[in-house]
Amino acid sequence: MPMYGDQGNKLVQHAKRMQNLAHLPPYQTELVRAVTREVRDLDKDVASLLEPFQGSFDPSADQSTACTLLVNHLSMRRNKRCLLAYHRTRTDKLEELVWNGSDVLDLAGQQAGGGANGATAAADGGASSSLSPQEEDYVRQYGDLLAAYKGQWTDIDLTGSLEPPRDLFIDVRVLKDAGEIQTEYGAINLTKNSQFYVRQGDVERLIAQGYLQKLG
Amino acid sequence: MDIDDILREVDPTFHAVPQEKRNLQELTRAWIAERSAPELLPWPADGLFERVNDSIKRQIEKVEEMTGDMDPKTNFALIVIQTELERFKYLVRSYVRARISKIDRHTLHYLSTDALRARLSEMELAYATRHQALLHNHYLSSFLSSFPSALQNLNDSAGINMVETPDLESAVFIRLLKDTLVEGRGVDSDGAMDGRESDIVILRWADAKTLVENGSAELV
Repeated sequence: MPMYGDQGNKLVQHAKRMQNLAHLPPYQTELVRAVTREVRDLDKDVASLLEPFQGSFDPSADQSTACTLLVNHLSMRRNKRCLLAYHRTRTDKLEELVWNGSDVLDLAGQQAGGGANGATAAADGGASSSLSPQEEDYVRQYGDLLAAYKGQWTDIDLTGSLEPPRDLFIDVRVLKDAGEIQTEYGAINLTKNSQFYVRQGDVERLIAQGYLQKLG
Repeated sequence: MDIDDILREVDPTFHAVPQEKRNLQELTRAWIAERSAPELLPWPADGLFERVNDSIKRQIEKVEEMTGDMDPKTNFALIVIQTELERFKYLVRSYVRARISKIDRHTLHYLSTDALRARLSEMELAYATRHQALLHNHYLSSFLSSFPSALQNLNDSAGINMVETPDLESAVFIRLLKDTLVEGRGVDSDGAMDGRESDIVILRWADAKTLVENGSAELV
């Protein structure tokens, strides 16, 4: 049997590694389940250890049992923290993606579906997405929450660029066809490889989504 | 220029800082302070954001009004106004997001007491409450629900408190707005100095807080 907390430690390491990754690695369904199982087993152990005492356990009379109980309790709590940390790191990442306006659910599907990445993801249990179903729910709900919050700031796009604006107009190059956009100086047709001098506020979204590239 | 203009020019109240500019100053200050302080500062209570939002709205309307005009003079004015508008928007956005990021990091802490809750605006309070509920739900459905019920809380305080709090001991830079005594705790020994107006000092936020709150200093 693995040492107490070994599995939890693995989760934390996963979380730590994830912080420096650009994409979200597949959800560790097995590991999460194993850690949760460990907690339940420990809890059962505690219950069966305490059973003969009928609620009148005196720690100083039976020090070895007391010690076992303490270790069990601490391991359970530690595992809980590991799980929380793992999930929180992932949700933080997901929230960041939601704020950036990327379609997280779509993205996750693509990642898992394409190339070598897809093979490993499929091997991990046939999941088509690197998100757990609960995470997909979470992303959806958080997206709604953010939209509701943003909606109260009618004139300001909260998800806009956090770089201080320097120039009103900027040069952009079109990386992908984005169709026609309306500006107050008339319509511009954004075809690939063309270059425009446009108002930053008009194209911010398109830059964030990767249709346009800001020059100079 | 008629007589009224001349009279107005010598009127001292006319040269007082106009409301628009005061708004900008307050906003800039709030923004700088919020970005430098390690913990969430109170949401400005005097309706600053209503005023700022109003003026943004007015500016947008003005821009729309002027757009039809092709006169180069209005065009130039238009560019100036739009640049100003973008800057205003940036300040508000950056300020709001700085707050959101602090609230997200220590949600339970800011929701824990009434005094802390009072620092949030109504919108932020709604957001924080909902966000925390979402997170808790997510934990519950992912693993927490199969835990023994005694372990399902998110605010255990046995051992290390589970609710993380912002680090009030981290360092901030402040500029003194008037002569005052500055006291700071150090690692080895505490220090005190007679600060002069416009001195810039670095010290722990916990020590700087009172100075900032009573208006003797501002964050930079």
